[in-house]
Amino acid sequence: MDDNSTPSGDRKLSCSDVSKCFQLLESILDGENMPNSKEMLNEKLAKCEPCFKHFHLEQAIRDVLKTKCTKQAVPSELEASIREIIQDKK
Amino acid sequence: MSEVQRKKYSEQEKSKIFDQEFMPNIDSMYNFAYRLTFDEDDAKDLVQDTYLKAFRFINSFEQGTNAKAWLFRILKNSFINDYRKKSKQPAKIDYQEVETYYNSDDVDYTSTTDLRVDAVKDMLGDEISNALNSLAVDFRTVIILCDLEGFTYEEMAKILDIPIGTVRSRLHRARNLLKDKLRSYASTMGYSTDEEE
Repeated sequence: MDDNSTPSGDRKLSCSDVSKCFQLLESILDGENMPNSKEMLNEKLAKCEPCFKHFHLEQAIRDVLKTKCTKQAVPSELEASIREIIQDKK
Repeated sequence: MSEVQRKKYSEQEKSKIFDQEFMPNIDSMYNFAYRLTFDEDDAKDLVQDTYLKAFRFINSFEQGTNAKAWLFRILKNSFINDYRKKSKQPAKIDYQEVETYYNSDDVDYTSTTDLRVDAVKDMLGDEISNALNSLAVDFRTVIILCDLEGFTYEEMAKILDIPIGTVRSRLHRARNLLKDKLRSYASTMGYSTDEEE
């Protein structure tokens, strides 16, 4: 999928149905299974410059969110204190 | 997801569900709580409340269904019903931002940003986190659920009690707002944007 280097010369520069296309691209990136999604995606990316750009930007944003967002360590005593309260209530 | 009691688990079964299906999610639960409250103690309380409720209503959990989604739904409801009410600090919501985006069901899918892929890839973790944290809670939540926790649209719809179409449009709006924040980071950090070319 990572065909960033593909020259954009063959792609049309405006998309005739941005709403539908972008919604489709975003659903595919979010892992929603759609019929024929792979074929449609490949065609869009090959033929349409706005779709190509939108797809790669959306993909980059999802990637940095997944990999770079700082994670908080769970306080070490939290699990024990939950178990203790439940034990007391039994 | 329904609150109806489906069956009665034995004490042994309850412990097993709690240990094997509920507890392994504590890391995700705590991070979700922290991203909602931005406070360690509040996040701890919220997670603790959630687990106590989960145990109390364990008979309405159906084994074999997604425990993580079930727990997230309880946490989200606890946050709305309990935390927001008793919190001295009002939730930091940019109401105008929310209103502007909620008042219409139509989503504008035109490209609204000139943010570049390279600029996004070069961003630091703190910049990404700060941009996410600056979004209004409803928009922040859908991005957390989708991108950080990997829930499907259908699971998100159940966790948030909204239709799938609303999940889709809220996510799109949330990401557009995030892009706006990232773009302003990008320009202050001196990354090039299309505008400058």
